[in-house]
Amino acid sequence: MEALTRIARAGIRVAELTAAEEKANSAAQMAGLAYGLAAIGPGVGIGIIFGKAIESMARQPESAGMVRTTMFLGVAFTEALALIGFVAFILLKFA
Amino acid sequence: MRVLVTTQQGQLLEVRVNADDAAGTEATATESETASAPNPIAPEGKELIWGAGSFLVFLVLMRVYLFPKLKKGMDARYTSIREDFEQADATRQAAQSDVAKYEAALADVRAEAAGRIDAARQTVDAERNAKIAETNSKIAAKRAAADAELAAARAKVRDQVAEAVSTVTARTTQLAVGKSPDGSVVREAVQQVMQSGAR
Amino acid sequence: MISTQLAQMASARVNSILVQATEGESTRGFHFPPINTLLRWKDITPGINKVVLISIAAALIGTALFLIAANRDHKTAPKGARNLAEIAVEFIEKNIIMETMGRSGLGWTPFLLTMFIFIYICNVPGIIPFIQMPATARMGIPAFMALLVWVVYNATGIKNQGPIGYFKNVLFPPGVPKALYILVTPIEFISTLVVRPFSLAVRLFANMLAGHLLLVIFALLSEALIQAETQRIFLIPIGVLPFGVLMFLTAFEILVAFLQAYIFTTLTAVYLGMATHPEH
Repeated sequence: MEALTRIARAGIRVAELTAAEEKANSAAQMAGLAYGLAAIGPGVGIGIIFGKAIESMARQPESAGMVRTTMFLGVAFTEALALIGFVAFILLKFA
Repeated sequence: MRVLVTTQQGQLLEVRVNADDAAGTEATATESETASAPNPIAPEGKELIWGAGSFLVFLVLMRVYLFPKLKKGMDARYTSIREDFEQADATRQAAQSDVAKYEAALADVRAEAAGRIDAARQTVDAERNAKIAETNSKIAAKRAAADAELAAARAKVRDQVAEAVSTVTARTTQLAVGKSPDGSVVREAVQQVMQSGAR
Repeated sequence: MISTQLAQMASARVNSILVQATEGESTRGFHFPPINTLLRWKDITPGINKVVLISIAAALIGTALFLIAANRDHKTAPKGARNLAEIAVEFIEKNIIMETMGRSGLGWTPFLLTMFIFIYICNVPGIIPFIQMPATARMGIPAFMALLVWVVYNATGIKNQGPIGYFKNVLFPPGVPKALYILVTPIEFISTLVVRPFSLAVRLFANMLAGHLLLVIFALLSEALIQAETQRIFLIPIGVLPFGVLMFLTAFEILVAFLQAYIFTTLTAVYLGMATHPEH
């Protein structure tokens, strides 16, 4: 009997959720779009940073250590944009 | 179709809903997810406080006790290693100066030995040259004496031959002509013939 | 994660369909669990959950490592715990401080060392079997660390340049034409005082969270494929692929755990260096 009540309640809840779910659904789609857009720029940027770093390391292997540190710093700054996009994705999707 | 729902008691309950066109699509949802759930990004109080507390305790321990002790040990070892290196350098330099000194002494001795050998060689050479010269002069004297003896003997023989020839010639001429030629003319002619014959 | 269509269908038919409670978990199909079940952990005892335990363990492991290391004989060549600790110290000194702050920053070694070790040990449980939760994938620790860094570098700047000098250097960087200050000052204010701690926290948190979610996705995918109930002949061999990706990502997460600790520490060093010697 208790199980039946629970199941019935669950069904009602599913019905009630619909409007909210619809909103959440569109938010989820927007979230995916937001993250996809946020990943474009930093993707290109990180590619450029690594490419240039490899170039300069190949040209002057003696300065490789300094280049590597600076490269990681640059990657960290660029990557932050993509990560903010990722956080926006989670905020849109779950908040 | 399967739906995850939350009951009033807050438990998760899974129900399977048999719809006619439910083509195995799955869906899950919890009420907590959309409505009252804390944001997955929001920091949770207890995690923040405990994380902060443990980090700060760790930081204080490191700053006050652990790191200085470790660093002191590292510095001490590096200093001792550096001192060892310096000592080794000093020892090596001392050894190198000893080697240089020894080599200088060796060079002196070698030069002296070479000088002595040269001197000895020069005296020996001089003595030998003197002896050779002496012997040569002796030999030359003996040879000159022998040559003179030989020449004297040859002249004597030649005189005797010339005497004999001129006697024979005078005799022959006397027999042929009947007149005795002048002895000096004959002797001169014989001399001339012998001279040209010797030539 | 109910699709709109599905929800509408469910609401329309909720009265007519047969509702049947299932016995136990069905392994058929791939379904991503709600994100909070992946991130929020139940309290083991009141106020203490897995993430709290990991952060306490990180402090304890770090303390134990340096306690053992500091009490070893320091005259002989280091090995074991002492070697590890000395490698960490020299890494911080040579690769982080000397590259960013120079010799004058060596006084920050204990702070940065503690920060590096703590963040690293908080990151690494993400790939340790049966723990598999980076403590930094929750916002608490990154937020606190970033806030601490913010307080420390601002305090350093104020101490080194005086409150007026520091804020003058930050807000009105020398060498900029006067007219441009209308543009530069708000940008500098936001970037130095708001964006820096925010991006510091978000970078660490989001990297670890993204890694954690990636591992979850591929683990669930390989599980769903390998334990498929229908068409096993096709699905089980295909399941090897996400499993291979899972292995690769686990190896990649080792690198990320180190790299994020390194970047957090390096950026802290850069900010401290800027606060100590204003160059621009």
